[in-house]
This record gives sequence, C-alpha cells and structure tokens, in this order.
Amino acid sequence: MVLMVDTTTQHIGKVIAEELIRRGKNEAGFELIDTTGMHISHCVGCNYCWLKTPGVCAIQDDYEPVLKKMSKADQVWLVSDTHFGFVSWQTKNIVDRIMPLVTMYLKFKDGQMRHVMRYDHQPDLGIVYTGDGDQAYLERWCQRTALNLGSRSLGVFPESNGKGAVSCML
Amino acid sequence: MHVVIINGSPRVQKYSNTEKIITAFTKGLSEKGITFETYAISNRKAWDDIREAYIKNDEILIALPLYVECVPGLLLEFLETLPQKDEHTRLSFVLQSGFAEGCQLRCGEAFLAKLPEYLGVRYGGCLVKGDNFGIRILDEEKQVQVTKPYQAMGELFAEGDGFFREEAEKFTGPEYLPLPMRLIMGLIFKTLAKKMFQKAAASWGCSVPLDEKVWETGHDRA
Repeated sequence: MVLMVDTTTQHIGKVIAEELIRRGKNEAGFELIDTTGMHISHCVGCNYCWLKTPGVCAIQDDYEPVLKKMSKADQVWLVSDTHFGFVSWQTKNIVDRIMPLVTMYLKFKDGQMRHVMRYDHQPDLGIVYTGDGDQAYLERWCQRTALNLGSRSLGVFPESNGKGAVSCML
Repeated sequence: MHVVIINGSPRVQKYSNTEKIITAFTKGLSEKGITFETYAISNRKAWDDIREAYIKNDEILIALPLYVECVPGLLLEFLETLPQKDEHTRLSFVLQSGFAEGCQLRCGEAFLAKLPEYLGVRYGGCLVKGDNFGIRILDEEKQVQVTKPYQAMGELFAEGDGFFREEAEKFTGPEYLPLPMRLIMGLIFKTLAKKMFQKAAASWGCSVPLDEKVWETGHDRA
C-alpha cells in the first residue's frame, strides 16, 4: 500500500495520483490524504504516548486516522511545500507526531541509540516537494527519519520530477 | 551585549527541559555581567512580542529540543513569521536532545547552520548536546545539578565568539559511544531502564506495558 500525505497549497498529490493511475497503478494500491481543512496540531512534547497512554496521542484532533494509515502503509510519501529549503511546518507537524509508533524503550542499532518500535511493520519514507527545497538536505533528513523508524528512504523528488517518485510507487 | 533568548520548545515552559537549560545558561551570562531577556514560543500569545524582540535586537539565541532530526514543527511555523534582517544581527543556537551521542544531533545542526542565511542574518554557531531526556523527571535539586555545565557555556558565550570555540565543540561529548559502553548500556536498556521507565509511567497513572500494541489489543481510547 502506498500512502501520500499532501499538505501543499497547490494540492500536488492529486497530480501525482493521476500520473500513478495513468501508469497502471491499481486504485486499491494507494491512497491520497489531502490535509486541507483537517485539524492537525503540532506535537507538544508531552511524552504521554510513551509514558502515560502508550501508543496513544493525547491530542484529540484529525491526526490519529492518518497515523494509523501511515503505520500500516508500505510506503509513506510526504508531499510538501518547502521553506528554508526544508519541508513546511505543516508536514513537519505530521512527522513530529509519529511518536506513538515508537516506544519509550531503547536499544542500540548500527552503533547508535534508537527507540524500540511499537509495531512489527514499518513504512518506508519518501518526499515530493514544491519550491526551492534543499535537495541534499532533504535527502539527508529523509534517511535519518527513516532510520528512526527502522525503515529506509525511498528518495526525495522535486515536483518537476514527480514521475521519478511515481516510478518508485509502482 | 544584550541577548534575546527564545525557548523554541513546544512543551509548556513548566515542564520544558530546554527551559532548565536556559536557566543554567543565563546564570553564566549574569556571572559575566551580560543582560538578557527570555521568551518561549510554546505560548502563541507571546509570538508578536518575540518577533518584536527579534527585530529590535542584534544578539539572538534560540534554544531548542531536537524533534525528529530537525526543528520542532511549531518552531518552524514561528520562524516563517520572521522578517528578513541583515548581518548586523547574529543568530546562535543551543540544540539539545534525548539521545546521548553527538551524531544524533548533526542533521538538526546542519539545518540550523543554514537557517541564518535564509533569514539574512549572521550565524553564531550551535551548541550541541544530547542526553537531556530525563531532566523533567528529576527533582529540582538534581535538575540544577545536571544542567550546571550549561552555565559554563553561558560564560563562554559572554566572551563574544558565539559558539565558535573549542570548548563549545567539546561540550557535545562523544560522537558515538564506545563499544564496551554500548554493550553495558544495551543490557541496562533491556533490564533496569525498562523498570525505571515503567515506574515513571506508573507515577503518571499508566498501568499498561509501555510497549503495548494498542491498536491491536484495542486498548486505545474506547
């Protein structure tokens, strides 16, 4: 299952979804979530999802169904506008709140501390971005973020190379 | 020198580890006769005041926790509201995290190193240190004790070179933990640390295992 989470003002995810269908992807094989109009708060760092209500975020807004889908997907694609060369705060909020997927428990992996994951399945992570993104930095950040999930980066693609991302989704 | 210090943590100030670090850091500034004013972005109502302080002053320090390899979403949102300034303004950072090793903070540091250029201002360096997760669960006396090293960094900052000093670089500690330590800690993680976390959780009113697969057991909100 491929999941796209689109926070862009231009709704770029829709264009990519159309390309995906055109190239023969079964509609049952992917889902596009456009966060326009959804209420998704920032992470407030309360640590409740680790220590008070393990696996459950204390903030009750529109985020939990999104996170459940992210958790179960094989691929999660963040479709984001960029500022300061980085993903937008709307996208960062979505990523900051993945913490219910990891537990408070720790381990060492490849010589570095990591959290022990809560569930057995982890999604790989990719980025499609609009605007003047810092390609090298976004690649680095995507790889590091995937590392924290115990998964891998699918790559980072500017909107102009949306077809490259689509090729990874097929 | 007069420093505007912004706590970039989204967590309420009362429980903010970053806030405790700022407290120790500013003691160091005071020791050297440097004045400062502090703000916290966790309170949205203060954003206009913080922006005004950013505009009016030329020595700005943002202290922040690492959130998923970079800046917390809320701080990103605030940063987008800042106007362009010029290189008379210097922007420095104190980046802290839960994970202990220096390597864990480098991706976040790399973003911060480029950020001043986007805002048109000068970069004053970034003080990097992990192993700060536990501050909030310590009693007040221990909190003062574990954050004390930041006081010396405040004194160093007062000398005017930002964090471009060998002492600031060394402050990070080891980039990776040596193998024997990893083996010992790995063992502790599986035993004592689990118990300690479970105990901390119990004091927060938690009665289920911390690694419960809540979406599979149905123990999330009914």
